[in-house]
Amino acid sequence: MAESFRRAPGVRDHRGAGTHLLVRAGEYVCALPLGSVRRVVRSLTVHPLPGAADELQGLAEFGGEPLPVLSLARLVNASPGANPSYPVTVVVWVGAADAREMVGLSADAALEVVELSTASIVAGDGGLLLGEAPLNGEVVRVLDLESLGRDH
Amino acid sequence: MSARGFLLLRRGGLLWGVANSDVEGLALRGGGFFVALSGSTLVADEILGVVEGLVVRRLAPSLRRFWPVAAAGMAVHGDEPLVVVDPERPPRVLRLEQGDA
Repeated sequence: MAESFRRAPGVRDHRGAGTHLLVRAGEYVCALPLGSVRRVVRSLTVHPLPGAADELQGLAEFGGEPLPVLSLARLVNASPGANPSYPVTVVVWVGAADAREMVGLSADAALEVVELSTASIVAGDGGLLLGEAPLNGEVVRVLDLESLGRDH
Repeated sequence: MSARGFLLLRRGGLLWGVANSDVEGLALRGGGFFVALSGSTLVADEILGVVEGLVVRRLAPSLRRFWPVAAAGMAVHGDEPLVVVDPERPPRVLRLEQGDA
């Protein structure tokens, strides 16, 4: 199954507000700005790169292009959850708009699309974690995917 | 980056590409493949052959951030991703170490 997500009219991702795709990564639920999500597909076959950090699962092929695949759970320091029954790769754009690149994020499941307001987002780390937001009795981690494409 | 010939080899479970123009020789010894470059020798578990027309992409910042290995780029052959070797700085997993020969 492949499911496409397109930016809908009125979608905003400035400072984290706007429409987000919720995905499960280990013990955490993460919110990805929908405007950065290109596609959600069943977990891609990944070829590990020798000497890579734990966050980088390896390279995959997507649409005829090489695609680095990162472990979302590792990126957000989540403890692993139970074996996911339908793991996915979320293909996203990262980096600034003028230098964006495509990356795969492996996650345990794609959950739903929600709207988050700026006022609900608190306590970010200035990097990938834009902040946290309460949602339906749970805390979701709102991610700044632009930061993943920056040189560190 | 434009198309040119690449020697494809497998090592450490991963597919690698070396530009034809960087290859000075090939040898099979003791069941292992050896690829001579101008300044080093690579070891391969398997040689797949030479392909034309690879579209080589630069290594993205998100990849370099988590993989501190020099490489000339990345590409796809068939439905399999591969890393294009920087002949000046081949990754350790490919380098001929003492005892490999």
